[in-house]
Amino acid sequence: MFRIRRTVAVLCATVMLAAACGNSPSGDGATPTPDTATPTTAAPATTAVDASQPDTVVEAPEPDAAETDEPTEPDTAETDTTEEAPEPATAEPDTASEAPEPETDEPAPTTTSEPVVAEPVDPYPHRHDFVSLQGVPGVTDDEIRVAVIGTDKNNILGTCILPCFHTGIQAYFDYVNDAGGVYGRRLVIGELLDDELGFNQQRSLEVIDGNNSLAAFQATLLPSGWGDLNHAGVPTFVWNIHGADAVDRDNIFGNHVIGCPTCTIRSFVWIVSQAGASRVGLLGYGISETSKVCTRAFGDSIDLYGPDLGMEVAYFNDNVAFGLPNGIGPEVTQMIDAGVDFIATCMDLNAMLTLAQELERQGVRDQITLLHPNSYDQEFVAAAGDLFNGDYALLVFAAFEYEVDSPLRHAYDQWVPANGGPVAEQTLVGWINADLFVTGLLEAGPEFDRQSIVSSLNQITYDAGGLINPVDWSRQHTAVEPFVYDHAYALHCTSSVRMEGGAFVGFQPEPWMCWPGDTEEWSEPTPTDFAG
Amino acid sequence: MNGAAGFFEDLFRGLLQGTPPGAVYALVALGFVLTYKTSGVFNLAFGAQAYISAAMYFKAHTLWGWPKWAALVVSAFVLAPLIGLVLERLIFRHLRTAPAVSKLVVALGLSVALPELFNQAARFTAVAGRQITGIMPDGSGVFYDPFGVYRFNRDELAMMAVALVATLLLAALFRFTMIGLAMRAVVESPRMTELSGINADRTSAFAWALSSTFAGLAGVLIAPRFNSLLSTDFFTLVVIAVAAAAVGKLVSLPRALLGGLGLGWFIAVFNTFLPRWSGDHAWLRPFQENLTPSLPFVVLFAILVLWRAIGREREASDPLSGVDPPPPALAALERHPKLTLFTRLFGAGFIAVVGSVVWFRAGVLWMHLVTTAVIMAVIYLSVTVITGMAGQISLCQGTFAAIGGFTIFQMADRFNMSVLAAALLGAGVAAAVGAVLSLPVLRLGGVWLAIATLAFAFFFDAVMVKFSWVGGGTTALLTGTRVPRPLIGPIDFASDRAFLVLAVVVLVVVSIVVIQLREGTVGRTLTALRGSEVAAASIGISAARARIIAFAVSAAIAGLGGALLSMHQQNVNYSTNFGPVNALFWLVIVVALGARTVEGAIQAGAAFALFEPLILKGDLLAWILRGEDHLPGLFPISGSWRLVLFGMMAIQFARHPEGLVEHGKRRASARINRWLQTREGVAA
Repeated sequence: MFRIRRTVAVLCATVMLAAACGNSPSGDGATPTPDTATPTTAAPATTAVDASQPDTVVEAPEPDAAETDEPTEPDTAETDTTEEAPEPATAEPDTASEAPEPETDEPAPTTTSEPVVAEPVDPYPHRHDFVSLQGVPGVTDDEIRVAVIGTDKNNILGTCILPCFHTGIQAYFDYVNDAGGVYGRRLVIGELLDDELGFNQQRSLEVIDGNNSLAAFQATLLPSGWGDLNHAGVPTFVWNIHGADAVDRDNIFGNHVIGCPTCTIRSFVWIVSQAGASRVGLLGYGISETSKVCTRAFGDSIDLYGPDLGMEVAYFNDNVAFGLPNGIGPEVTQMIDAGVDFIATCMDLNAMLTLAQELERQGVRDQITLLHPNSYDQEFVAAAGDLFNGDYALLVFAAFEYEVDSPLRHAYDQWVPANGGPVAEQTLVGWINADLFVTGLLEAGPEFDRQSIVSSLNQITYDAGGLINPVDWSRQHTAVEPFVYDHAYALHCTSSVRMEGGAFVGFQPEPWMCWPGDTEEWSEPTPTDFAG
Repeated sequence: MNGAAGFFEDLFRGLLQGTPPGAVYALVALGFVLTYKTSGVFNLAFGAQAYISAAMYFKAHTLWGWPKWAALVVSAFVLAPLIGLVLERLIFRHLRTAPAVSKLVVALGLSVALPELFNQAARFTAVAGRQITGIMPDGSGVFYDPFGVYRFNRDELAMMAVALVATLLLAALFRFTMIGLAMRAVVESPRMTELSGINADRTSAFAWALSSTFAGLAGVLIAPRFNSLLSTDFFTLVVIAVAAAAVGKLVSLPRALLGGLGLGWFIAVFNTFLPRWSGDHAWLRPFQENLTPSLPFVVLFAILVLWRAIGREREASDPLSGVDPPPPALAALERHPKLTLFTRLFGAGFIAVVGSVVWFRAGVLWMHLVTTAVIMAVIYLSVTVITGMAGQISLCQGTFAAIGGFTIFQMADRFNMSVLAAALLGAGVAAAVGAVLSLPVLRLGGVWLAIATLAFAFFFDAVMVKFSWVGGGTTALLTGTRVPRPLIGPIDFASDRAFLVLAVVVLVVVSIVVIQLREGTVGRTLTALRGSEVAAASIGISAARARIIAFAVSAAIAGLGGALLSMHQQNVNYSTNFGPVNALFWLVIVVALGARTVEGAIQAGAAFALFEPLILKGDLLAWILRGEDHLPGLFPISGSWRLVLFGMMAIQFARHPEGLVEHGKRRASARINRWLQTREGVAA
């Protein structure tokens, strides 16, 4: 008994002491506070160059067009690093990687045999200015080294993640190096680290500890190391499927931002109208909050816009068991009974296959259209043959099926296959992230460092030459809630495709269909080409 | 009338829709029962065996283009029995008389190691959207509609037919053949069976080949249900199928078949009617929302807890097991005093040197790794209490740790509470949950307790985490589950060095608590219960009270460790740290290295955090060779080998329940003792 009383007394004392303690105001897990070096408040999208930044470049570009709030006139000037870059004549990245001569201030001579297109004013005329830098991690007089971290082994999705992401980045680096590199230096992937699903934090800390990389690229399924990279001030460029892990972290950039998971989605309603459907079934995984919120957002969208457009939610189930271990027969039967003619899901491509097969089994496959959120995989759809005929896929980048008159796209089409990579989502994500990184370098000027790259990027709007919906990094690091537009996309846009005969087919007049981002009122979308 | 007719039509359709998944559960349950009947092993590695055959079939047919029959023969009728024979010869032959719990731990180790071993050896990875094709020609494209209500494809019909025929053939095998009788006899007592002139080794080998072949066949038949092959899916399937096997009390094949089909029917009918009813009756909505994703685990938990017959079933035990000697005492209790002094001095010196190196030389990575090792040691002490001291297998320690992590997240996020106070609160909440959970499950004991805790872990994963007051809900979706570091006066633990000190202090305190517990009334009571529950009860010891205390203390330690880990990572990182399958590895690594001692937990913590960078990545060898450039080409080795190595080491649990390190220590201690005694004798 004495032992127990003593234990209880010690416990009580410990609790009281602990309660008197506080929480650290610093550290990544602390309550977010605005970073004085990188504006994150809802500042108006202006082009003001931060004079307090030591690396402010006198010859800074004029990204004003990009920074305006005018949604239908997207910028083409501020990030287009590719316009003057020569087209690679040969599809041999090895040759290309040997091309640059870092010691000279002049761009490397191109080997192209094609006529060089007359170029507009180079927004970054200093791109080949060499300044010797000391103490900048990963930077020598010859090279700028970065780290690439991602999931390859133990990838539970079975999709090509790290290898494709890496290929996209390497292809872009080859493309830039072929044109003379940046500031007289070659871009090099110095570290390629597989986080094997569970080692992301460790790999991230390896990069921080090694201090041999200027920036980090991440395509991972479990982003446990993003906080550490952000805290260490490493510019980090990610496949941004983890909105919560990127929010309020000013050093983290991506191919897009997860704007507002709980907001209504006009593009979804528009797709339903394109399919000529009126009774919508919605399915989501019960085990995943992300999937549930997504499903609810679809439902809210139909509830909000549907009455005027003749649509309604006829079936709603956001509690489907993950992986569909019991099949999805009862749910499909109920949807048929409810007269559903369109099904949208917040599930992975494997589940879409199961769903389509069940629809076929119950004899209604040709009567019900599916909306695929994650199935933009050419091989997958080709393997399914006609199973997905008439279905739609929603994307966060300009689908390959649309002509985007962007040098960045043209270069991608050449350099990624030359690197042995597929023309597919993940290589494009790597490619865009690499371009974003180089944009940050160029914005920062020849005397760049990690901080100046981050600061520079956090003042611009970036659209990857029209491949993505423009992201205003001065204000879009912050989570967005419904009906609050300070941190939202200026435009709400989608690029969607239809599936026909085992392939994707474009059906939009332009790569993007856009709605105003400062309202949730319904309107017809505006066909938009950010590259145009 | 139309309403009634419609109801029955829906019900009938629901039953038909539940038949294919029910056949899946039945196949796995049959295999599970078959293994248990023929080997006495509660074989949680059945899913791993099935996965290997399915993956082999996929690789051979889909990737290499072999004909289906050839892929089937190689994967199910060559590779699968071969694996069974190897397992029997190398592992289970030596465990025939081991307690069922020990065999369960061995099977757990195999369930972790085997899939990774295959994946590494065969360079196999899941391929999205590349659905495995069944064994029938155009198996998923040709449908039959026998009742005009619901169509089955050829693969599903083949699977259902195999389940039915296998039940009949296996039942006949056990009932009418000598080999069937011999297999059951070997499970009961191999030594008595050999006295009857039966070759127990050969019979056991046949039994393992048979059950493994069935596992392989089941894997190939089930695989088309999955759109991508993942070993965790197969493991989860086995956990669910245990419910069906439990219906047959692990021995009845027909009941296992019915249990599997019944589970499939129940889930399908549930999914048919409950959404409809919840639309009419709002009070049903929460049940539908929360139960649907976790229904199989709820059913499993309910069967185990509510079906009284389960707990009363005595595990088969060898009548001659009483002649086996009890496990020896800990080496530390027997060794020479001089050796004890030397060991302690060496240990203190080692810690001082390592501590100094870490403190003065470690960068951010190694500081992180060492801190992780210390914190994992805290969590592993919870395994020391529940498994090492109480002799119970809990597979939900990750859940208790997650409760600690989520508690500090919630308290800090909602109330800006000190995370240190919240950590203690989290430990308290975990202790309360552990105590409440122990009330229904402790009655089960042994392997059923392990399965019930595993079902609870899956239930927490499927249901509880998504509640906003647990996992954060939409808040977590928007901003994650971030956790601040503590602050005590002027000491800001945002500094990694300061936080390491805090973690070490917590480890020391918890270690003292565990040692006090072990040497106090509770510990001695648990020791008595491990020796003989009947004898302990006869002298008035309350087994339930002691075990509830052990469960609660264990949960509290895990909760505290989970809170500490979340503070360290500044994020709960539930999926990375605390998922039910992740946490299985915790048990495996602790029992492999030593579940009975504090040192075992500390070594397990160090192995968890440091084995991959030091050994597999080659940092230690590089340091010895003075540079990474001198490392052999095979480095860095994949971190997955960690699972293989420690999974394989766990198979030693049955023979050395004290753990490999303690076993080695005992042998070394015995040798040195002998040497010292000889020396003293000579001197005298």
